[in-house]
Amino acid sequence: MNRLIRAEFLKLVCTRLSYGLLAVSVGLTALWTTLEASRAGQPNGPASLSGYAGQTSIITGGVWGLILAAVLGVTISSGEFRHHTATFTYLAAPRRVRVLVAKTVVGAVGGAVFGLAGYAITLTEGLAFTAGHGYGLAVGAGTLTDWGLGHLVAGALLGAIGVVVGSLVRSQIAGVIGVFVWTIIIESLIGGLFTAVRRYLPYTAASALAGTPLGSASFGPGRGATGAVPLPFAAATALLAAIALAGAVIAARTTVGHDIT
Amino acid sequence: MTSFCPLVRRREHRTRRTLAGMTVIQIRGLVKRFGPVTAVDDLSFDVRAGTITGFLGPNGAGKTTTLRILLGLVTPDAGIASINGQPYRDLPEPSHEVGAVLEASSFHPGRTARAHLRIQAAAAQVDPSRIDDVLDLVGLTAAAGRRVGGFSLGMRQRLGLATALLADPEVLILDEPANGLDPEGVRWLRGLLHGFAAEGGTVLVSSHLLAEVAQTVEDVVILDHGRLIAQAPVAELTTGGAGLEDVFFKLTSEANR
Repeated sequence: MNRLIRAEFLKLVCTRLSYGLLAVSVGLTALWTTLEASRAGQPNGPASLSGYAGQTSIITGGVWGLILAAVLGVTISSGEFRHHTATFTYLAAPRRVRVLVAKTVVGAVGGAVFGLAGYAITLTEGLAFTAGHGYGLAVGAGTLTDWGLGHLVAGALLGAIGVVVGSLVRSQIAGVIGVFVWTIIIESLIGGLFTAVRRYLPYTAASALAGTPLGSASFGPGRGATGAVPLPFAAATALLAAIALAGAVIAARTTVGHDIT
Repeated sequence: MTSFCPLVRRREHRTRRTLAGMTVIQIRGLVKRFGPVTAVDDLSFDVRAGTITGFLGPNGAGKTTTLRILLGLVTPDAGIASINGQPYRDLPEPSHEVGAVLEASSFHPGRTARAHLRIQAAAAQVDPSRIDDVLDLVGLTAAAGRRVGGFSLGMRQRLGLATALLADPEVLILDEPANGLDPEGVRWLRGLLHGFAAEGGTVLVSSHLLAEVAQTVEDVVILDHGRLIAQAPVAELTTGGAGLEDVFFKLTSEANR
């Protein structure tokens, strides 16, 4: 298994798309955070950076890192079919479930990097904007550390889920579009319309892990909507891990065994 | 005598233990359907150790499907395909037993040739020092740092062969390996396959280039519409002065009557 994980890791670092996605993630996160921090304290903007709520919404607002972590996962698995490299992969490792496991591990590692990179930017910008306005830090060091851990875990789990989605869908374009449609449109609609279930939605649960206030990470109708509390850390972790595992079992029993023609 | 070629040197220990004539590849009652189309229809044949066997047939005869079944990439509806007595998926170290070239387009265009081989070496647990050996063997040393997306078809075929030879396998399974190779490349490939077989390796190679096949292989397996229509040594089929091309067209036209 170690050799397959090593091979999958080499694929990740030898592919320009991985770095491109990281650059997109970092760029979008920096731009988004800058815009949000600039609007803090204004009408229809986030709360003022003078207090805990405003600082939280900026520092934990690195949602693009989490979304792009899932996109990375999709490309790790579906890229094999886009470029027909699955032939070489399965010739070297004909037991395909082992390949799926190795890809999931590497997707989780890559996703964790994306999550942490996003947090590094939001934390840096949040602290800079807060200090720039002359406000004191209202968030304790322990909380900041917890949020960092949350970004790492959330990125890792979304990266793993992305790998599973890519294995099920096989089409890279469909998988990537699916991630954006799910996180930006579907979860937003469901979250805005059915507040009781919103905390169980995967992207919402992942953003809760990262410390994001419920609604802050949403787009459209779900943005700012209240009426529920986020899942606790352990429950959100368990939910996302269960989704990844269930998806992996379904993929292993269906698409992973399909003919490579 | 010890060979100068690192690939051959590594295989010398194997030459002594290879039992000439032993069945290495066995196909029995193989059937594969894609919807209403029967691609492979009750196919059976053997490939002996230490031989180069040509796998011939018109387009759509079922050659590629058979090779993919043999390599565990396609699941048959019936029958058995085994290498050294085991299905490919059950081989403990498949890359060390079988090297394969299936399609020249199955490379990530953004990776360099060396990166591709590094990945394959990691997956097959092969010493990375072998990468330089196989790059040198297929004549791609100068292009090792170039992205595969910029490679010609012939260069991709050479990279495919380098991948197949990376783990120094006992068996080579090649699907149209001469596609895209220039005349010098075709001659080089012929020499490579002869050298491989001379060292005890076994080769199953599909090709449309009948004149080239006649110069390279000892045995042929001929398919049409997924069915076996002939398996024999080339020398036996061409007894009486008929060329392999004439024999091929005669057999395939008889099968279509």
